[in-house]
Amino acid sequence: MSITDQVLAALLVYGLPVLFGVILVCSVGIPFPISLMLVAAGSFVEQGEMKMWQVIAVASLAAIMGDQIAYGLSRWGGRRLINRLSRKLGVEENIKQAEALTKRWGGTGIFFSRWLITALGPWVNVASGIAVYPWRRFVLWDVFGEVLWVVLYVGIGYVFSNRVQAIGEILGNFTWVMVGLITTAILGWQLAKYVRTNEEAG
Amino acid sequence: MTKLSGRQWLVVLAFVVVVSFTGLFAVRTVRRAIYWHYHQDEPIRPWMSLGYVAHSYGVPPWVLYQALGLPQKPGGPDRRPIREIAREQHRSVDEVIAILQDAIVHARPPYPPPGPPPRPEKEPAQGRSP
Repeated sequence: MSITDQVLAALLVYGLPVLFGVILVCSVGIPFPISLMLVAAGSFVEQGEMKMWQVIAVASLAAIMGDQIAYGLSRWGGRRLINRLSRKLGVEENIKQAEALTKRWGGTGIFFSRWLITALGPWVNVASGIAVYPWRRFVLWDVFGEVLWVVLYVGIGYVFSNRVQAIGEILGNFTWVMVGLITTAILGWQLAKYVRTNEEAG
Repeated sequence: MTKLSGRQWLVVLAFVVVVSFTGLFAVRTVRRAIYWHYHQDEPIRPWMSLGYVAHSYGVPPWVLYQALGLPQKPGGPDRRPIREIAREQHRSVDEVIAILQDAIVHARPPYPPPGPPPRPEKEPAQGRSP
């Protein structure tokens, strides 16, 4: 039996504690079929086996707590490691530039990686912590994004309550399409810059 | 012809890899969406409960309980996944799924609708009723 089957079977039998535990672990960066689980929870709500407000509250709380743990570990654990490494490698200036970039675009990145490009969520947590993105602003974007994610996915599960497996698979693939599109745009922009520089030089 | 440095070639290579990756997942997403648009039924998985299977396939739950020789639990929903039921009945998951699929086929057109659930019995029936 696959890991997806194990997790969904546990969700069915034990309910909210499993929902809480799996989402918490996923937010810290351990990969689980989390979109499928939220869709399944939405379906169980529609069938009267779980309560909507409990699912939304528990899932949001777990996601926010997991993000805070990842941010905290990266900020207070990862920061020291980065400082030491950057001094040794002589890349302090580059690290400072990356930090400035995260501080400038961090809010948007945090918000969209919560619900639209969920595959990037754990990485954004770590990047925000390492770049010492202001904690209060991190919490603000995190809460907005995670609640939207939970409501959206549980809502989809509620509406398509008889097609959990199908919808979960589609959403799982879709998040990787979004990651790919954003990476393509960044690399494409970089390539265009090279071409422009070469043309100006030539 | 523009001359690219080693680092720039790396970016070109990464671009090609990422475009291929994105294309692959986009095709998979669209194929899945089209497939599910034309196929009403999703495959029965070991995590599903009998209630969910009945809900997903649009058949009365008692048809599935009866097919497996199980009494329907009177107090609240039965949350046992199929793998649990298979373990309790000393059957393989595939065997249980096959029984359920057979029961679903017989509860849908062109077969006549299953009608109301049977009256509760003192002793649960064993096996599939004819």
